[in-house]
Amino acid sequence: MSVIYVLIPIAILFVIIGLIVFFWAVRSRQFEDLDKEGFSILFDDNKPKSADKPTKPEQ
Amino acid sequence: MSTKRCFHCNEPVPAGFNFGCQFDGEARSFCCAGCLAVADTIIKSDLADYYRFRTEPASKANAVPTELAAALTEFDTPDILADISIQQGELTEIELSISGISCAACAWLIEKQLRQLPAVHQVNVNSATQRCHLIWHATQAPLSQVLNTLAKIGYQASPFIADHEEQIFKSELHQFLKRLAVSGIMTMQVMMLAVALYFGDYTGIEISHQGYLRWISLVLTLPVVLYAAIPFVKSAWRGIKAKQLNMDVPVSLAIYYTFFASAYATAFSTGEVYFESVCMFTFLLQLGKFFEYRARARARDATSNLLKIMPVAATLLHNEQQQTVSAKRLTIGDIILIKPGETIAADGDIIIGSSSADESMLTGEYAAIAKNVGDKVLAGSTNHDGLLQVKVTQPLLSSHLGQIIALQQRTLSQKPAILQKTDRLARYFVERLLLIAVATFLLWYFWLDADRAFWITLSVLVATCPCALSLAAPTAVTCALASLNRRGVLIKNSMVLDVLPELTHIVFDKTGTLTEGRFSIAKVTILDERFTVSGALNLIANLECYSEHPIARAFTSHLTQQLTLQQVDIQVGGGISAHYQDKVLKVGSAVFCKVNSPEPAMVYVSYDNTCIAAINLHDALRPEVPQLISMLRQQGYQLVMLTGDSSMQAEALQQQLQFDLMKKGCTPAQKVAEIERLVQAGHKVLMLGDGINDNPAFHAAHVSVTLETGSDLSKNQADVVLLQPSIGLLNDLMQASTQAQRVIKQNLYWAAGYNLLIIPLAVAGYVSPYIAVLGMSFSSLLVVSNSLRLLKK
Repeated sequence: MSVIYVLIPIAILFVIIGLIVFFWAVRSRQFEDLDKEGFSILFDDNKPKSADKPTKPEQ
Repeated sequence: MSTKRCFHCNEPVPAGFNFGCQFDGEARSFCCAGCLAVADTIIKSDLADYYRFRTEPASKANAVPTELAAALTEFDTPDILADISIQQGELTEIELSISGISCAACAWLIEKQLRQLPAVHQVNVNSATQRCHLIWHATQAPLSQVLNTLAKIGYQASPFIADHEEQIFKSELHQFLKRLAVSGIMTMQVMMLAVALYFGDYTGIEISHQGYLRWISLVLTLPVVLYAAIPFVKSAWRGIKAKQLNMDVPVSLAIYYTFFASAYATAFSTGEVYFESVCMFTFLLQLGKFFEYRARARARDATSNLLKIMPVAATLLHNEQQQTVSAKRLTIGDIILIKPGETIAADGDIIIGSSSADESMLTGEYAAIAKNVGDKVLAGSTNHDGLLQVKVTQPLLSSHLGQIIALQQRTLSQKPAILQKTDRLARYFVERLLLIAVATFLLWYFWLDADRAFWITLSVLVATCPCALSLAAPTAVTCALASLNRRGVLIKNSMVLDVLPELTHIVFDKTGTLTEGRFSIAKVTILDERFTVSGALNLIANLECYSEHPIARAFTSHLTQQLTLQQVDIQVGGGISAHYQDKVLKVGSAVFCKVNSPEPAMVYVSYDNTCIAAINLHDALRPEVPQLISMLRQQGYQLVMLTGDSSMQAEALQQQLQFDLMKKGCTPAQKVAEIERLVQAGHKVLMLGDGINDNPAFHAAHVSVTLETGSDLSKNQADVVLLQPSIGLLNDLMQASTQAQRVIKQNLYWAAGYNLLIIPLAVAGYVSPYIAVLGMSFSSLLVVSNSLRLLKK
């Protein structure tokens, strides 16, 4: 069972990484509008139909 | 009547209209040229996904008038742009308030459309707040071009300056999310370890492993008690400083006492640890507060698109030269030029020109007021049809509009105080609880068993931990807020639910609240057999398209067929005339149309110098009002009407609705005085109004309610906003508050009853901390599920 002396600290490390990512996401306004993000998956960014059009500068 | 609906905005397509296009292999029809143009732009820009995935129809698109497009260029003046945006090196950052966002698909559409502009660097649309955060190269594309791009797809955007309060709100939201994440994630970790420790208690565990798991739990709990639970401590400290024990005092005590007891047990390898209870308790309380906060934040955001009424730009006349300047920088003595349809930027006297002005923003009354040389004009009002030159007498900040805002801020601090009932209960409870805990400790330490004293005191504290008590009110309030939200009632101040059940007086404003607040056609009298009612109305509608006058709006919905008119001419204060099929068509007053009134009416139509129709207009009573009034009267409320209008209509309404008290011709200050009189007499008062002139009264009353159609400023100030154009929702609000009150009472009785039962057992030492935690969780769960009942229905 002495493996827990290694595994638990590693798990804690992951938790810390997760928290850092979450804090970053909050700071970059990703939680301000929850409705919109749910929709974004429905909209294709690159439709084959529009392949002939010049690509738009995405930023 | 055909049931064909517009593909874009879902409004009925008027008969005889023939706007249509092909989309997804089907013919689609449109209600007007504006919607067609917008849909065309959207489909051509390859954004047709919007129509496939949207959940709400768009708002009706009005074709962009050329004057409006010209007005947008005002924002390009460097002076004005600097006032409304932030410069970041080469990039300019601005916040836009966008009207017409109805669902998340709109947000996507706007983002896509703006990203197609090469000058746009970053764009982020929030569909909940109807705001757009934009960063772009102002040198490559002026702001007017951006705004025009949006107008083409049917959204009206205007620059927005977030006020200080809102900035604070935003950073609070971020804090909430972070605290929630810390307590939530840590709770999961600590609970996992707790499972191992509990199993260890049954099956045996090496002392070294147990110690290790406890230390890890301690470390993981640290961020929760040192970061996530801080707001409770702060609030408790504020309470103690103000000598008012609030609910957060026992909450913080329970959290920290349990934490230190567990830390002590960990350090000296004795007793039990309750780290998971500490984490879970913090997390649950945070979650409840967060949901309540979000419900309120949404209500606030949706209504704070304010400051749009504050005029931004003005045209300064300087040595015969026109110059666009920022409205804020006007000084006394400046001469400004005001074009038809513009918002007047400062208080002043007219020196050249005559027009009529819409001062409804300030007075609440919609009828236009004729303005001639020497008359005063007010900042924030709209100039209708004449070109004016105005000498500024008061700059924007000390103008009439500025003063109303100042009056409002003054009354804000005088808002009748509402003491939260649960806090009162908490104070009572907490004092006794702390006494009992201290007494228990002393009793066990000196007389019974000194070794067990610490742990028994802990179980007393945990068992009586006011978890259920502190969840009783907030969860019920949150659920009531959410359920009202769904029905179209936004509550921005949750204390409202506390006061409503005690309400005695309801004060109504008239124009725009009890009435529709705009002219509609009451009666059409045809005086010439060659014309039908719809034909005559169509003629008027065609002609009134050219006018900004509020009367003109009464006719817009009667436009059925586009006619060709020539030589359109507007005579201020008289009417509007044009040539139709080479004969003179006139719409306006009796004098203007040269009619010797056969019928008393407001608007006459003459064609080829013969009067063809007389039309009566009125400000119609909202259809739901009589029923609402009688329902409220049955429930025993005293009904009062305070109106700024001094016309006969106020009396006519009084005849019809029989208010207990009616005062007409009230200034904003008189409304405040009237309400303060009621408040001082010990009554609980609700004020329902819509205009800026009602706002000072809003603060004088205990609860203020406004309508979606109200001015932006009132929506910002009111406690409650009714999102549907029906004041019948007022009744819903009353019922929901009574229900919420009942659930809160049940919760409090249960929580208090449970505590009374468990205290003697805990003091006697029959409850191990273990059982105490279980009991506490169970009673919290019961309280929460009881509150959830409010969500149904």
